[in-house]
Amino acid sequence: MHMRCDKDGPRGRSLLFSRLDFGSWGAMAAGNNAPSALDKEQIFGMAEKEMEYRVELFNKLTHTCFNKCVDKKYKESELNMGENSCIDRCVSKYWHVTNLIGQLLGSGRPPM
Amino acid sequence: MDKSVLGDLDSVPEEEKKRMSTMVDQLQVRDSLRMYNSLVERCFTECVDTFHRKSLTKQEDTCVRRCAVKFLRFSMGVGMRFAELNQGAPTEDF
Repeated sequence: MHMRCDKDGPRGRSLLFSRLDFGSWGAMAAGNNAPSALDKEQIFGMAEKEMEYRVELFNKLTHTCFNKCVDKKYKESELNMGENSCIDRCVSKYWHVTNLIGQLLGSGRPPM
Repeated sequence: MDKSVLGDLDSVPEEEKKRMSTMVDQLQVRDSLRMYNSLVERCFTECVDTFHRKSLTKQEDTCVRRCAVKFLRFSMGVGMRFAELNQGAPTEDF
């Protein structure tokens, strides 16, 4: 599947709405024939997929950074300063990796 | 995978065909997004181990690129074999 991932990546613009055809919404706004039930179904379906993607991204990010940053001996329940900085840096790096791979998928790869 | 997974659609009414086509499209979108997320998780876990700064080191950047491209090539290879087997290709060792 050919995805377009802008530099904004997961933080900014939506992944899918940048590639969806919003012609039918535009036509509706201009007072022409309204989007069919099928078009609406498609747009809501895509929104659902987008939402699922973001939720999964967050969960994977959290688990991955927890594994990288926290010592499994669990000497205490509080987060120390090192762990707090690690959160910032790990999340930042994960974001970079997401954008990097998003660009690889968005440009070079042929559609399925 | 393309829409041939749906089999023979000739006798299906047009409206139903469109709905099934949309469904397959959405499943492909969902699968692509899951693959994207898994790939990011995999390559991050295997390539990034230090957190002294917020940005990736040159080595980490290179590692992630190679990891991703390698996985995509691997996935395409698996896809080809999968398609062959789906169509009943023989599985003996020769």
